[in-house]
Amino acid sequence: MQIVYNLIVLYLVGHLIWYLFREKKFWNKVCAVLVLIMFLLRLFLIK
Amino acid sequence: MVAIFALLAMILKLPIGVSLAFSALAGSLLGGEGIGLRHLIEGSFGYFDTILIIVTAMIFMKVLQASGILDTITSLLLRTFYKKKSALLLTAMFLVMFPGMITGSSTTAVLSTGALVAPVLIKMGLSKVKTAALIAMGGILGMIAPPVNILVMIMGAGVDMPYVGLTIPLLIIVVPLAIVISLWLGYRDIKIIEYEKMKAVLPPSYHKQYGFRLYLPLIVVLVLMLGQSVLPKIMPDIGIPAIFLVGSLIGLGCGRPFNFFKATQKAIKESTPILCILVGVGMFIQIMTLTGARGWIVISFLSLPSIFLYLGIATSMPLFGAVSAFGSASILGVPFILALVEKNAILTSSALSAVAGLGDLMPPTALAGIFAAQVVGEPNYFKVIRHCLMPALFELVMGVGVLILTPLLDKLI
Amino acid sequence: MKKIRSKLISSVLLLLTLVICFLSGFKFLSMQKKEDVFPTEGLTSKKMLSSYFQTLKNTWGDTEVYIYEGQEKGGNLLIQGGAHPNEPAGFITAVLLIENIQATKGKIVIIPRANNSGFTHSDPQEGNPQRYSIETSAGRRSFRYGSRLTNPIHQWPDPTLYINPAGQKLSGTESRNLNRCYPGRKNGRLTEKVAYGIMELFKKEKIDLAIDLHESAPEYPVINAIVFHENSEELAALALMELQLQGFEFSLEFSPKNLRGLSHREWGDNTQAMAILLESANASHGRLKGKTSPALILEGKDKNYVKAAKLGRLFVPYDEEGVPLKLRVARHLAAVKSILSSFEELHPEKKTEIKNMPSSNEVRMKGIGPFLHPPN
Repeated sequence: MQIVYNLIVLYLVGHLIWYLFREKKFWNKVCAVLVLIMFLLRLFLIK
Repeated sequence: MVAIFALLAMILKLPIGVSLAFSALAGSLLGGEGIGLRHLIEGSFGYFDTILIIVTAMIFMKVLQASGILDTITSLLLRTFYKKKSALLLTAMFLVMFPGMITGSSTTAVLSTGALVAPVLIKMGLSKVKTAALIAMGGILGMIAPPVNILVMIMGAGVDMPYVGLTIPLLIIVVPLAIVISLWLGYRDIKIIEYEKMKAVLPPSYHKQYGFRLYLPLIVVLVLMLGQSVLPKIMPDIGIPAIFLVGSLIGLGCGRPFNFFKATQKAIKESTPILCILVGVGMFIQIMTLTGARGWIVISFLSLPSIFLYLGIATSMPLFGAVSAFGSASILGVPFILALVEKNAILTSSALSAVAGLGDLMPPTALAGIFAAQVVGEPNYFKVIRHCLMPALFELVMGVGVLILTPLLDKLI
Repeated sequence: MKKIRSKLISSVLLLLTLVICFLSGFKFLSMQKKEDVFPTEGLTSKKMLSSYFQTLKNTWGDTEVYIYEGQEKGGNLLIQGGAHPNEPAGFITAVLLIENIQATKGKIVIIPRANNSGFTHSDPQEGNPQRYSIETSAGRRSFRYGSRLTNPIHQWPDPTLYINPAGQKLSGTESRNLNRCYPGRKNGRLTEKVAYGIMELFKKEKIDLAIDLHESAPEYPVINAIVFHENSEELAALALMELQLQGFEFSLEFSPKNLRGLSHREWGDNTQAMAILLESANASHGRLKGKTSPALILEGKDKNYVKAAKLGRLFVPYDEEGVPLKLRVARHLAAVKSILSSFEELHPEKKTEIKNMPSSNEVRMKGIGPFLHPPN
């Protein structure tokens, strides 16, 4: 199951980065970054 | 910290999540803890699981919309109920509550069946904001209703009370509330409409084109959710996020064709501000705990003279819900159960869960309110929360009432 | 132009994200480095839990088991610390025993970090420090302050609803709480496997008496307590009398029959061992705690708890002096000693004789440091 969840997080990380580059408003980008930090740390099984 | 938050959010108009994160950072600096990067990030992880549920639920919702499933079901429900006011309201309430009952999460309820019911209610004449209020309250009641009430489980874990024998006390609290609240919010506004008029507002149904398989994603999601709690030995527990994604993927082949990637992007775009609020709240709480502010708040409420104890419960638990209803159950619920140690813990925790559940209406997180607003397309969720005030008061009175009447109920049950 | 600027900003933000991940990740990963433990020469063997249950090998659930065996046969005792890594008195008591004792009769099995994975992270939103240090005769030693639960990166995701091996329904996160996972599952989640491994150890080491060392928040009713399985009722009562003579106040708590998955219940139900769990009062994992710091862990001084005690909200006495770690460890040591001597009284043929066990009074007076091996 852990692998499945890692894949889910990977998929979402990809989308968040895509969103980060498509979004125009600066503060919305910052919002995405705050969420992205968590997803990356979990993706690499650090936290 | 609160002042800095207010400055950033209200005067500089930064997003709430970002304001919370910056005020947490400021709190860490002022508290002599330095930048405290580890603490800030660690705090946000308190909501990691919730965030995963929210994103995947949003994807599921977008899939239901894009594939035409939502329209079809709305049309089906309208055809069935367009003549019966109370039946419609009660069914709507139960439908919204259902996923909450089996997952223990109001968010899941609001975002899954809440999204199904909303268009029906709106078409029957209920205003957007009242519809959202009904869905939000349904989500909260579903969260409290048996068989799964995570708030009670959290409180139970803090006082070594097993999760047994809660069905009846929880039903005593939830059933009257569900009836009263759904009728209160909807009975006056819902109009019985003529068949012709009803047909005019009917969204397109894709039932003829795609048949039964249109309903498959919803059925799979409900079966997987239900299976986890009803047949835990047979059904694999894949967790709510995976359930939503399975449902979404099935949705790909069940209705109108659509682009899954775009649906996900839409979900990400709409949910990011909310996810960011959760991240910010997590950071804020971590720093509050680190600096001792959290403990100070808890002890202040516990210091209230005993006659004010119930008042303290009625105010602090929903207020603390701004962090999260689960946080409120753990941080305040447990000390309150201990403060009421002479009473039956099963009844006390059931009643406290009803009070704590209201926390999901408390800004800035206000999970139930925010998502309900999003489901009906209302940009200002405060309008939704305003309509929830009276129902919330009913629930509060019910919770505190049961708390006070515990000795009597104890004998009756 | 605007588009390029937007992409540039995104790139900078992404870079910033990676830097934050790197810096915080470095801190998080530092928790995976184990603190040293220095066993005495009396150590007979050091095994891993995986030698009792192979499946645990190369997982974060595998953990050290220290065995001290006397020349003469006698009773077999298990002492378990670190089932909850945010309850330091349990872990430190186990370390003190490992670093001081010798067995002359019987066998003493010590697991200092029962939930090894729980030591590798801290609980979100609790604001806990990652480490606390204790001064020894020649230098400082630092110990990790972990989490009550298994690290989610080692066991993920949590179920929505957790039904433990003994059939109790619990909230999903409890699937990572070792002390709700007994008697474990052979093919279960990591924490259940650890519980299963410990049950296997009971069988293979023929444990007669098992003591699980814990701490609880001062507002929690089961505190400063000896929790006993019904098979240890007499033993607990005898031990309590002995402790009272030494001036230690403890309460006796019967292990509830409907509260399943806990060590004192499942060890007693599923093995031949007498099962006991000890609790002391730790302010740093309470809900009312004030400023969270290593000092709170070590000295246990907290204004909020003094206030709560005055309000009658606590189940232990709490004053300005606090409840320091040395006192909590001393209480555990005193209780272990009394339980052992009472066990001998009830079962003379299963006597265990331990030499150089740190005296509770000395630990209380001099502190923990003098009894710890200096760092390398």
